[in-house]
Amino acid sequence: MKISNEQLKEMYLTMLKIRKFETRAMDKFAEGKIPGFVHLYLGEEAVATGACANLRKDDYITSTHRGHGHIIAKGGELNYMMAELFGKEDGYCRGKGGSMHIADASKGILGANGIVGAGHNIAAGAGLAIQYKGTDQVCVCFFGDASTNQSTFHEGLNLASIWKLPVVFVCENNGYGISVSQARHQAITDVSVRATAYNMPGVTVDGNDVFAVYEAVGEAVARARKGQGPTLIECKTYRFRGHFEGDPTVYRPSGELEAWLKKDPIPRMENYLKENNVITEEEIKKMNADVDKMIDDANAFADNSKVPALESALEDVYTDIVEEGRIR
Amino acid sequence: MTSIGIVANPASGKDIRRLVSHATVIDNNEKINIVERIVLGAQSLGVDKVYIMPDSYNIGYRVLDKLKLCEELKCEIEVIEMMRTDSMDDTVSAAKYMEKTKVGCIVTLGGDGTNRAVAKSVKSTPLITISTGTNNVYPVMLEGTVVGMAAAAVASGKFDVRLFTARDKVIEIYKNDELKDIALIDAVISKDVFVGSKAIWDMETIEKIFVTRSHPASIGFSAVVGCKTIIYAHDDFGAFVDINNGGSFITAPIAAGIVDKISAGDPEILGFSDEYEYVTKNRGTIALDGEREIEFSDNQRFVFKIRRNGPLHVNAVRALETAQKNGFFIANNSDVSELFQDNIGR
Repeated sequence: MKISNEQLKEMYLTMLKIRKFETRAMDKFAEGKIPGFVHLYLGEEAVATGACANLRKDDYITSTHRGHGHIIAKGGELNYMMAELFGKEDGYCRGKGGSMHIADASKGILGANGIVGAGHNIAAGAGLAIQYKGTDQVCVCFFGDASTNQSTFHEGLNLASIWKLPVVFVCENNGYGISVSQARHQAITDVSVRATAYNMPGVTVDGNDVFAVYEAVGEAVARARKGQGPTLIECKTYRFRGHFEGDPTVYRPSGELEAWLKKDPIPRMENYLKENNVITEEEIKKMNADVDKMIDDANAFADNSKVPALESALEDVYTDIVEEGRIR
Repeated sequence: MTSIGIVANPASGKDIRRLVSHATVIDNNEKINIVERIVLGAQSLGVDKVYIMPDSYNIGYRVLDKLKLCEELKCEIEVIEMMRTDSMDDTVSAAKYMEKTKVGCIVTLGGDGTNRAVAKSVKSTPLITISTGTNNVYPVMLEGTVVGMAAAAVASGKFDVRLFTARDKVIEIYKNDELKDIALIDAVISKDVFVGSKAIWDMETIEKIFVTRSHPASIGFSAVVGCKTIIYAHDDFGAFVDINNGGSFITAPIAAGIVDKISAGDPEILGFSDEYEYVTKNRGTIALDGEREIEFSDNQRFVFKIRRNGPLHVNAVRALETAQKNGFFIANNSDVSELFQDNIGR
């Protein structure tokens, strides 16, 4: 698979953006600046980056409760994202959706989602719309290992396979459904084997290797664009933080996190870029400084944005229903 | 005590070849079934103990539980206690432990890559190899039950192993005069610039293919050479060919369901005293037995050698023939009398 040095640098930059955005979100949550829950993507950056590097602006993604990485990789605006996390009116959802509901239809981001497994059927719907319109767009559906025990997984994959919809199902298998290890929530180790039940290709790749993800999703996207139907790709990865911020992670065996930290996708890619003379130390420093500034700017944007007015609580919802309810 | 070892790779049968070719998915439950049948076949012919590599799916423990539950386990099963890394290193470590423990035979379930890992640490223990995929040359498709029986015959120590084993060739790859890695069947120089998803399938990226053996009935890159010339496992040489360098076009099966037209030069023989030096001009990778393993940048020096330094590979069919000719399957009197007593009781 051909890939230019510029593409490689762009992918590295995307991983840095995700890492630094999530690290800032972690700090700001600890400071009490972020209301509600946040589920951080730290450690899983290679999956969103490698997958979305194959996508065009007019392609779609569906995301999860751990969605910041997907949205950044698909081109989401850091300022609006941070403001949304802070619950401010300049955020993507005017501060009323929070971390788990960020969407940007103009960039094909069909939304993070607080409901585990909700994305499978939204993705199948997007795939059906693409097929109906006759374009060569695709939809990448991100989801976790535990969501593959939900009925929506079966429904979404079944529809996509029977109608040969242009959907790439990307399972981020981080080994846990909240605090329940995969060994305790399903009797398989490789989610990819479930693809055989839907007569679609299923493959497992190292989700901490951005190249492995890029390559596998690239092949699946090409297949989907040609009308050959969906693919299930399982990316083995690990979240460095708990299920949510504040999770004490007492369910993790000792040494597990340390073992995965050694497989951190960002130093892995950085080493590759340096060893192969794709990037210089100076460029790495500059990229880090540039991303630090982007995050500082997003933080300041969020800080300076107003809290939504109380009177706006019933705006941007299905007001007819609310009004009906109030009248009664 | 008669013992055997089993190495079942939980990761085999699920890589990107399911997407880019027509390869089959082999799930881990099927591997459990195969291991069960190996154990049952082996214990029926005198194996007392079976060592099994630990893995992320707990194949060994699941087999133990299932056979205990159905009251069919007669031998002892020991899942080796070792620090797991869930990588190829587990295969290397487990095989090393089995060799050190002096098991009579090791059975592997996996592909060429799994056996390459075993070959790194097993030199004297006879190896029976079962394929759990569709892209393999080194392991073969065999029913687990008869593999267990063959392993029992080999491990019994009653036969001269030279009757049914042969030491395999390997390709040794040196970087700056240090042994970097080995391949059992083929080593491929590719323009793919990263290891990524490991498997290799795009012929346009291939520059050279080295083989220990080649045959048109094989699948993968050795088949490219095999469609030009046949080199057997017992031949004391290997070969290499240039690809995409003006050679004539041949049609060869490079992956399951993928038969391509490939420009390949005439094979050049590499004897055991020969070596081939390759200095890299650009970035690229070297794939070993079908999987990209070594990344290189420009101006690096590699040397390829074919040597007969591989594992002692069992021809399971011939082992069973040897066993049959020597009366290995004739049940002893005490077994028969127990069976007779059981039947009277019913």
